[in-house]
Amino acid sequence: MRRRMTSAPGESPVRLYHVSKSYMAGQFALQDVSLEIRRGEFVFLTGASGAGKTTLLELIFAAEQPSEGQIVVLGRNVARLGARAIPALRRRVGVVFQDFKLLEDRTVEENVRLALDVIGTPRREARNRVFSMLKSVGLQHRRFHHPRSLSGGEQQRVALARALVNEPEILLADEPTGNLDPELTLEIMDLIAAAATRGTTVVVATHDHSLIERYGKRWLRLEGGRIAEDLPATAGVERGAAR
Amino acid sequence: MNRALILIGIALANAARGIRRASTTSLLAVLTIAVVLVLVGSAWLLVGNMASLLDEFGAELGMTAYLDPALSEASQRELVARVSQEDDVATATLVTKEEALLRFEKIAGSGDLLSGLEENPLPPALEIRLVPAARTEAGVERVEAVLADLPGVTELAHGQEWIEGYARAIALVRGIALGLGTVLGLAALLIVANTIRLAIYARRDELDILALVGASRTFVRVPFLLEGTIQGLLGGLLALFLVFATFSLLQSQLEYGLELVLGRAGLAFFTKGQSIALVAAGAGLGLLGSITALVGWKGTS
Ligand SMILES: Nc1ncnc2c1ncn2[C@@H]1O[C@H](COP(=O)(O)OP(=O)(O)O)[C@@H](O)[C@H]1O
Ligand SMILES: [Mg+2]
Repeated sequence: MRRRMTSAPGESPVRLYHVSKSYMAGQFALQDVSLEIRRGEFVFLTGASGAGKTTLLELIFAAEQPSEGQIVVLGRNVARLGARAIPALRRRVGVVFQDFKLLEDRTVEENVRLALDVIGTPRREARNRVFSMLKSVGLQHRRFHHPRSLSGGEQQRVALARALVNEPEILLADEPTGNLDPELTLEIMDLIAAAATRGTTVVVATHDHSLIERYGKRWLRLEGGRIAEDLPATAGVERGAAR
Repeated sequence: MNRALILIGIALANAARGIRRASTTSLLAVLTIAVVLVLVGSAWLLVGNMASLLDEFGAELGMTAYLDPALSEASQRELVARVSQEDDVATATLVTKEEALLRFEKIAGSGDLLSGLEENPLPPALEIRLVPAARTEAGVERVEAVLADLPGVTELAHGQEWIEGYARAIALVRGIALGLGTVLGLAALLIVANTIRLAIYARRDELDILALVGASRTFVRVPFLLEGTIQGLLGGLLALFLVFATFSLLQSQLEYGLELVLGRAGLAFFTKGQSIALVAAGAGLGLLGSITALVGWKGTS
């Protein structure tokens, strides 16, 4: 297994050292962020709109390059990744967005299979894995439907299935429940939390402070591109409740 | 199953999906390539047939060197051997006085015309056929020069001048076809490139998502290359069919006309290899077009 070899067992899968990101000269989306996320850890990322949550996630899955500092994800220095290495890294990182990003002209099954197609998984194996993945998010009976005919919560479960079907080591979610009502939100968050208990490192950006109270996980609060607070798991419950 | 094969299968499926999704622009690209190849293919067919007619006549384009009747038979044979050595000469045949007379009588229908003469007035001659490469003005001149220097050669006669003009006409048509082909081919290439660019634009959401799930550059690009190639292939097949249909419709009339004018006909369609080349040219145009479209494209992040 190649993936096990690039990062040593004890090494944290996400490490940032004095990372800054600036899209325009003099303006920082992120400023001097240092951070370490351990294997299997579940982290909530909060902050006002424009605080830098999306930028931080984009840096982790190499959609953006840092302006300054170093980012090491799964043992790879993201700033030094070549065009070939980025896809390889992304196959080990699942990503979920607020707007699901599903392909309307493909069935649920085909959408989830996309993550397996890109690595050339044999059809039969892919179908089996997609089926059991869809089953674990409770959508196996919807596999031949198109995303449009699904509810928002169901669409997000499809997106989550696509992010997880490849058994990524890291799961990133950018306001995954921003479009969902409270009931569906918990449904999705429970599935994400379940992934973390299986050993996946999870980072969820959210506006929803009730989630932090409910799940009591590590809580990173961004403010103007800087880390304003970094509270460990148990303390997260108290502080979240206090706000 | 082999992973590469699986990836190729997926790429083909994606290309087919792309063509289906953009069926109108794809059809336009196919038709453009077909039109270009019909024009170029027709010109090619015309040139090919003109050239084979030329070959047919050219084969008869020979030279006759009349020899001094006083030349001994041995010297005559020596001359044949000498002329046969020339690179430009395919065959050199000796026609003796007697043979010449026989031929003449055959053509004239009787020996009466010359029977009044005591002596056979026809000189012996060397009939020379040139190799195909020498069937040009320059080739003829080269052989003429050689013959003129040979002792015993009294007079030279050579084939019809019009063949030179005809050869020039072929070169002209070939040049026009080549120029036309280049210009139209370039136009077709740009149209395919544009089709692919539109396809990339229409599918940017899909490409973003592919990038997110870790698709390699190749995985993202190959379907577009295939898409262009398939369009070109279809355009090439359509062109081949159209040229063939037109040729079949016109063949008997054209051959009848040629029969009247030249006394011979026999128009040929493309050989199997040429047909394949025409279709391959379409596929190549499509592939080049999509490469053109992808060259400037940085891809998604
Ligand atoms: N692609 C971009 N180009 C220019 N500025 C950007 C870009 N992405 C984000 N920004 C800016 O960076 C800052 C942080 O944005 P973002 O990371 O999206 O915050 P959040 O996700 O917390 O709302 C904002 O000021 C935003 O305007
Ligand atoms: Mg955001």
